[in-house]
Formats: sequence, structure tokens, C-alpha cells
Amino acid sequence: MIGRTVGRTRWAPASSLVVCGLVSLGRAGPVTAQQSELWAEWTAQGVVAATGADPVPGDRALSEVRVVQPVVMLHAGWGPHLAGLATLDLEGLTMPQGELALGDWGEGFMDRRHPHTYAHELLVSGTDLLGRRDGEGQVSVTAGKGFAPFGTDDPMIRPPLRYPVNHHFAQILERAVLIGAGRQGPVTLELGLFNGDEPERPDQWPLIEGRFGDSWSGRLTAAPVTGLELQGSYAHVHSPEHRPGAGPDQDKVSLSARWEGPVGGHPIYGLLEWARTSEAGGFFVFHSLLAEGAWTGGRHRLYYRFERTERPEEERISDFRSLRPHLENSILGITRWTVHTAGYAVQGLRLGPIRLEPLTELSLGGIGLLRGAFEVEPFYGDDRWWSWTVGLRIAGGAPMHRMGRYGAAAPAMGADHPDHGMES
Amino acid sequence: MSGHERFRWGLALAALSSLAACGGSDDGGNGPTEPPPTDFSLQTVAGGNNVPDRFSSDLWVHGSYAYTGTWGHGTRNGNIGNLVYIWSLDAAGAPTRIGSISVADINTVSDVEVSSDGAVLLFSGEGGPNGGIYLYDLADPAHPAFLDSALADGGVHTATFGEIADRRYVFAARNQPEPALLIYDVTDPADITPAASVPVPPFYGIHDTYVRDGLAFVFAWNTGVIIYDVGNGMSGGSPSSPVEVGRLVTDDAGVKAGPSVHNGWWFHNPVTDEARYLFIGQEGPGILKEASSGDIHVVDVSDLRHPVEVASFHLDGAGTHNFWMDEAHQILYAAYYNGGVVALDVSGTLEGDLSDRLLANIRPGGDGNTYVWGVQLVGGSLYVIDMLSGLWQLGVTLP
Repeated sequence: MIGRTVGRTRWAPASSLVVCGLVSLGRAGPVTAQQSELWAEWTAQGVVAATGADPVPGDRALSEVRVVQPVVMLHAGWGPHLAGLATLDLEGLTMPQGELALGDWGEGFMDRRHPHTYAHELLVSGTDLLGRRDGEGQVSVTAGKGFAPFGTDDPMIRPPLRYPVNHHFAQILERAVLIGAGRQGPVTLELGLFNGDEPERPDQWPLIEGRFGDSWSGRLTAAPVTGLELQGSYAHVHSPEHRPGAGPDQDKVSLSARWEGPVGGHPIYGLLEWARTSEAGGFFVFHSLLAEGAWTGGRHRLYYRFERTERPEEERISDFRSLRPHLENSILGITRWTVHTAGYAVQGLRLGPIRLEPLTELSLGGIGLLRGAFEVEPFYGDDRWWSWTVGLRIAGGAPMHRMGRYGAAAPAMGADHPDHGMES
Repeated sequence: MSGHERFRWGLALAALSSLAACGGSDDGGNGPTEPPPTDFSLQTVAGGNNVPDRFSSDLWVHGSYAYTGTWGHGTRNGNIGNLVYIWSLDAAGAPTRIGSISVADINTVSDVEVSSDGAVLLFSGEGGPNGGIYLYDLADPAHPAFLDSALADGGVHTATFGEIADRRYVFAARNQPEPALLIYDVTDPADITPAASVPVPPFYGIHDTYVRDGLAFVFAWNTGVIIYDVGNGMSGGSPSSPVEVGRLVTDDAGVKAGPSVHNGWWFHNPVTDEARYLFIGQEGPGILKEASSGDIHVVDVSDLRHPVEVASFHLDGAGTHNFWMDEAHQILYAAYYNGGVVALDVSGTLEGDLSDRLLANIRPGGDGNTYVWGVQLVGGSLYVIDMLSGLWQLGVTLP
């Protein structure tokens, strides 16, 4: 995260010349915030995952092996007031046709999670802009490409490997953003301007001309006690599904409560999330309720997610793809996806500087038609499905940051995110 | 007194006034010389619930045969919408399905039409690599024979014939990512020859085209309607070199997706001898089977270079799709998705809210089984293609 502090300590290398030497460590420091040297840290990870699902569209079983979530992150900064972040996402190379994940949708994919853009985040922040004039407070301005201040953390940095169905209701990502953030005590307020259009392919950049600033969002976060975070956010997004701007707008609301901290001597993570997206002035309305948690005991980590999310059934052009760009604003129906995902991971394995995390996940799901004429059983063969994943997460460098919070909003979360619980 | 009843009384008074005026006028005045219908009804006669295997799309009826398209990728019974169904009509006009044409690598047959001489079947396809236009010979109407095709990247959303200067053309709407009006010379239907490609702004691009008197009305979603001279002569245009005459963005009517200009019909009123009104269908957001939105917009094109919207029709809870007109009786028939079929009296001067012009509204498939794509009046019957309940024959009772 840009401008991250750990307590009141800022991580930084002793010299800008040692950046390359940090590769084996991921970062250097700590040094005090008063120093003004260049600092940097990096993170890299990817997951080799074998996934199967039954049934998939066409009433058949399907399994595959993919490298998912391959990312390289670089944090850098100069003193207490300037920070930068770059996240390179290589999914466009490793999974150009997406990742098998029933229920997931967006950016022209159905029942496969789409690859993200190569430039997942590329941001510069002016941090702590008021210095001591705001006391313990923080004010920042962030600009670049990244997450709009809305909703919950990116699923990539949450315990389950599988992305939730609600990804496009609960996060707004890969936009050209201008974000102002202020933190005072336990309360953080973020306001952001961005372009409404979603990416259409991994190598695409946000459409600046004519689109930047056509959408906005705000997020209020409070941390009433250590470990607990309450979040509420709203976004108005212009024509997210049609890049030239002819599509209907969305109004989005997200509420969440998040816990991260020890309970009974064990690290516990929990998230309860509710989201609502209204499109075309309320003609289409989609809801999502999600609860997930993780418990870590020694090297063992157990996690579980429950999700109930409504999804638009768009006109498809093949089993796993929907029509893009849109021709019109009609859909076949709205389905409700109920998904239970349970997982187990072994942490703390190392191969030199490389961290290894074997994991396995099992998902059980049900599909119900809420509105319209989409015929679930003829299309899938059943209205219940299951999927499995066996994978190995390979990571190096510093822990992953909480994607989607920048500048003054980042420290409000407290300490470093534990990177799926992997030891760093 | 309901609005409809008031309308009928009004019509009766107007008819009397019109007759009186005709008797004392040299030219008959500007009002209709034929009284508009006052006791109009639509009723189902035959057909219906006859395409359970697929969602239906467009239709065309010619002579004793009808042709209907299919829609969607595996979304009904797991089947693909890559078929054109062939129907035989009995002496009373009742349809019976007798065969089909299959096209590989499309998901939807998006438009269907038969040439005015009944010789050639035209349909368009989209949703796959073989999207484009297809021509079939109808020497044996029950067994169409392939003539030629022209593929287009992104597929073709609609296609229609236009006959200009003794040659036959197809005007096709190429989908995004590079939407365009494509014009083909199909005078020799076995040899489709590109004549022109006119880019259309990508604000959902071009959806439908209406060709008449050497003018092409391009219905281009949020760009509005664009009028081209393609052989009319008023601006020196031709099929190979269309020239824009005028354009208009219609009102969004409160639909939070913009004007969504989808289709239209240029009304040539034989009663008044005017070609004053262009009816435009607005296709707002919809959910197959249960919801749709969008109004009928009436545009005064007396000055084709400066069209002006003058009236509209709204049906609560539903939105319009394709049109057909009984011009002689001054009745507009509109497919209305979950609203079924609407018949509007469009006689006389049209202005403001046309809700009092509603003559009939019928949902042939009934509740939960009606989502009407298109209509066509042939031989006194109104044929209706419903995405859910298939092909219907409706009877039309005129006063």
C-alpha cells in the first residue's frame, strides 16, 4: 500500500542503491520517517492451480491447470511525502481465457473469472501532506491506475483462492483514479474520481479522454477497536459495461465489517459484506451477501466463505463468454448464486527465499432463477454444482498489500496484511 | 368514462366533423377522408406455443409460407439460435412448421425478410464467427436453396432489402466493434457485391434500417436516427455513396439508458397523401419474459433535413420493438415484448401523448409466456413472433 506505516515506523532501505539487493528480502528497513532516502520493496506471487467443476455450461465436467494470480508488486517512496506503487498482473499471459470459476462473471466472461489487466495498479501518492499541522492525522492525494475507493479488499489478497461471484459488485478496479483521503484517529474518509469503463482486455488502459471523472465514489472507514474495521461506501459509475459510454449507469453501495487479529492465541480473519448494485435507474438491481473467515493454527490454515449473490444472465456468444461490446441493455434473467467454499492451506514452507503454500479448496454451489427466462438446468444440466482446486502458492518478497486502499487510507487498517496468512 | 371511451366518442365526433368538412371543401382538407376505426379488435386465431425448443426472433411471411428466426446461445433447452424455421400456411393462414435452415457458428438469426417478388430469402446472423447476411433461393419456398453469404466482423444485427433504380440492395447493420451501415448489391443474389460501408458512432452502433423512396433511415441507438439519401436525389446520394440528409436524437423518455433508437417506419399515409411521420421504436432495458422499457416516438419529417419529435406513446411496464403498418387504415402495429402487441390509431395529426390512440393491446401467449419480437400484417392476418410462445396468427377486426 502506498504510504503505509507500521505503527509510526516507515520501512525504508538504508540507501537507494540497495534496491536490487532487496530481492531476497523483499524490503529493507526499518528507518524512521524523518529520513528522506529512496525506499522500495517488492512482492511476487503466483498460484499453480488444478481446478475442476461439475457441471459447467453444456452439462459436462471440466478441469484444467492454470497459473492464476501471478503478480509482481513494487512499492517505492521518497521520504514521508511521496510514495509509488506498481502491480504487474500477468494473468493475461497465464490465463487469457480466464479461470474456471462457476458463477464468476464480468468483462465478457461468464462462469470464468476474467484475467486482469497487466498494469493492475500504477499509482503515485502524496502522503501526509499536512505534516504535523493535522496532528496525528493524515491527508493524501493519490493518482494513477488502481482501485476506486469503494467496497472491500480485492479477493486476490483474501484467504480463498476462488474469486467470489460478487467481484464486480464489491470492488471497482483498474480505473484511472484521483483519490483524496484523510484519516483522523480511527476514521478514514476517501473520495475518488475515475473513469467508469471497465477494461475489455488485459493490455487495455483506462479511457481518459471523455471518460475520466465521469464516475465517483466515497468510502468511510472506522476502526473502533484494534482489529475491527467497519466500512461503508457508495459509487456512481457511468457506463461501466460500454467503453465508449453508451451504457447505463450503476449506483453501488457496499457495507462491511472486517476483523483481523488474534483470538484465543490464534490469528483470526473475518469479513461480513453486503453489497447492492442498481443499474439503469433501478431497472436492474443485484444484491450480494458474503461472509468469510480464516483460522490459523501453527502452519495450518482453515478458511470458509459463504456467498449469496445475484448475477445478470447476459446474452452469451459461447459457453463461457458474453457479448462485448453490448448491443443493447437487455438480459435473459437474474440468477442467485449460493456458494460455500472451504479451504485448507499449509503455511511456513520455504525453499530459500521462496515461500510455498500448498492449498486445497472445495466449493459447493446452487443456482436459482430469480427473474427472467434463463433456463438453469437445461443450460448447466443441474442447478447444483461443485468444484475443487489443488494448488501451490509460490511467493517471495514482502507480504501482499491490501489492494484498494492508498495513501492515508492504508495505515488506517493497522499493520501489514498477513498475505493470506503466509509468513513473510 | 375511460380514456379509450373518450377516444371513441372523440373519434366519432371527429369523423362527423370530417365528413361535414369534406362536403364543403374543394380539396377535402388536411384531415383523414376515411374515418379511423372505432370498433377495432385483435384476437388469436391460430398458432402459438409452437417453438418450445428455442427462443424465437424475427419473422417474415410471404404467400403461403413464413420464416422465423431463433435466438441465443443454449439458453432454451440448451439449444443454439442458429436456425431459420420454415412454416407452411394453410388456406386460412394457420402456420405449421415444416422445416428449417441451419447455419453453423452463429448464435442468433437476427432478422428475416423475403424480397418483394418472393424470389429471395434474406436473413442475418450474429453471435459467432459466421455472422453476416445470407441469401437463399425460394423457387421452392418449402426448401430454400443457398445462394450466397457475406460475413461481417461482429455479425449483422438486422438486414433489409431496398430496391433503387432497378437494382436490389441489402442494407445491413454491422455490429460493434466497428458498427456500420453495410450496403450490398444483390441484384444477382448468387453474387453479393459490397456497395458501401458507412461508419456509425459506436454508441451501441446501428440496430435497424428502413429504406423507402431512396432514403435510408438508420436507427443508431444513442446517436439517434440518421437519414441518408441513397438514391432519392434530394442530396445526390446513391447506394454506393450515401449522403446524410438529417439526423435527430429522440427523447430518452426517462429511460436511464438513453434514447436507445432501435427501429422505425416511415409512414406514407394514402389518406392524406402525406409522408409526414416517422415512427421510432426505443428499446430500453429489458429482462426476457418479464420486463421491458422504451416508448414509440413520432418524428415529423416533413422537412427531412430538420426532423422534429412531435409525439410519443408509452405503455406502462413494457417497451416496444419492431413495427408494421396498415397504412391504408392508418394503424401502427408494434411488438411490445412482455406487453404483447399494440395497435395504435395514427390517423390525422399526431402530437403529444398518444395514449388515447391505443386501439388494442393483446398478449397472445398470456402472462409469463409473452415477449413479442415482431409483427407483420399479411392478407388480413397479423402474424406475431413471440420469443417465448412462437408464431401466432391473429385476426384483425376492422370497423
